[in-house]
Amino acid sequence: MITHTSSPSKIELRHVTHLYVTSRNAFMAVKDISLTVKEGEFISLVGPSGCGKTTLLSLIAGLEKATRGNVLLDGEEVSGTSRKVGYMLQHDYLFGWRTIEENIYIGLEVQGTRSKETEEYALHLLEDMDLLSFRNSFPQQLSGGMRQRVALVRTLACKPDILLLDEPFSALDHQTKLKLEDLIIETLRRHKKTAVLVTHDLQEAVAMGDRVFVLDRTPGTIRREIEIPEVLRRLLPFGTRQQDGFTTLYNQVWREMEGTSDGATSN
Amino acid sequence: MEQHQIEHIFLLHKQEEKRKARLVFLCQIGLLAIFIALWETAARLQWVDVLLFSSPSRIWVMFLEKLSDLSLFTHTGITVMETVVGFLLGTIFGTLIATAIWWSPFLSRVLEPYLIIANSMPKVALGPLFIVGLGPGIISIIATTLSVSIIITTLVIYSSFREVNPQYTKVMQTFGATKQQIFRKVILPATTPTIVSTLKVNVGLSWVGVIVGEFLVAQKGLGYLIIYGFQVFNFTLVLMSLFVIAIVAAVMYQGVSYLEKRLTSQFK
Repeated sequence: MITHTSSPSKIELRHVTHLYVTSRNAFMAVKDISLTVKEGEFISLVGPSGCGKTTLLSLIAGLEKATRGNVLLDGEEVSGTSRKVGYMLQHDYLFGWRTIEENIYIGLEVQGTRSKETEEYALHLLEDMDLLSFRNSFPQQLSGGMRQRVALVRTLACKPDILLLDEPFSALDHQTKLKLEDLIIETLRRHKKTAVLVTHDLQEAVAMGDRVFVLDRTPGTIRREIEIPEVLRRLLPFGTRQQDGFTTLYNQVWREMEGTSDGATSN
Repeated sequence: MEQHQIEHIFLLHKQEEKRKARLVFLCQIGLLAIFIALWETAARLQWVDVLLFSSPSRIWVMFLEKLSDLSLFTHTGITVMETVVGFLLGTIFGTLIATAIWWSPFLSRVLEPYLIIANSMPKVALGPLFIVGLGPGIISIIATTLSVSIIITTLVIYSSFREVNPQYTKVMQTFGATKQQIFRKVILPATTPTIVSTLKVNVGLSWVGVIVGEFLVAQKGLGYLIIYGFQVFNFTLVLMSLFVIAIVAAVMYQGVSYLEKRLTSQFK
């Protein structure tokens, strides 16, 4: 039996084109992008620099308004930032003048939802990350990996349905990165969150994602969509990396990347 | 290495540090003593004209004299009051204007040439206008003081607002923060160290404004004593006033340094 009444996609981009206009020129960052993300799905975006990956995140987050086309969350047009969306940046950007505890409440404060309950929830998340004992420390006293975990808590404390990850591991050392990948996937699955990851690391894209989109640049377009098979999806990223199929998929993404205009012109 | 050996090395290091600090202090005192002794000798042996350069002992006698008839307290009190008021107003208004132009990039573009001209202008040249407009009194002196510090405060604080990493603002925006929330929770705390360090500069600038203001109009105050001493050719009075200004200004500067340490302790 086929039903067409499934719930609307969590995230949907319809023919999205976006321009950045400065006093010098108008630059097309992405052109005619269409994609949908189902609830609970994790998608990875990879591509050469300048392919508009971060632009797509900004559009989904409502930080920018698409020049043409529509961005929908749960079937509703995006207009400005939404509490449904949590955004994690490349660096933690924790506020140095606040303690760890005060840092994880910042989103709640901004959204006016800071209360005994929400504070407890945030502290509970901090405990999950093994960082509760640092609640009264200042960010400068923590290592890079710890700080990025605090940033994750800060984002999750606001209970977003959708998590946007903009190269959140790129500033970390390899081992910390692998651990954090597993931690994030575990947390997301437990809370049934939808996520979009932007990364330069192709292995990370394959290990974490359910689907990988390879983008082409100038202007950013979708070059190829690669589905990760069910067997690999079920594992945590670290486990996925050990599987036979992983290397084949990785090579496939690699070849696609080589074919992008960046790869083609850089010989 | 044993624990007690480590402690011993640490102890030696601390002793060495202490010894150096003491030596520096001794040299500082020594330098002052030599300067005063040379000056006194030069005056007594008539190497320099005592009428122009006075001597430490004469200054000291006058200092005690002015202290005992309480007139020094009146003059110092008025000058300090004017300095503090001018300093506070300059800082407060400078911060407010900086906030306004941060808030509205349009306003900042409109005001830009005016701020540049105002900044490059020698503000004390406005003194006569203040006197005509506000009357020859304390208000004019405070206005002169304010005019000296307000523009530079505005420019320094505004540029520190702009230098706050835009990614911090982005973090706030992703949570849906309003401009006011961004200002209160990010811009202001992030720039507190800069704001406090402009206070230090403002202490010095306020003294310039007050003394010039008093030169122009005052009947009381340390600036008045200097100009009066100059007019009646009493350089002992001039030098004594300078001596008092040096001490009071140093105390104020230390006060602001203390404030700076208190307010910015969590940044280190």
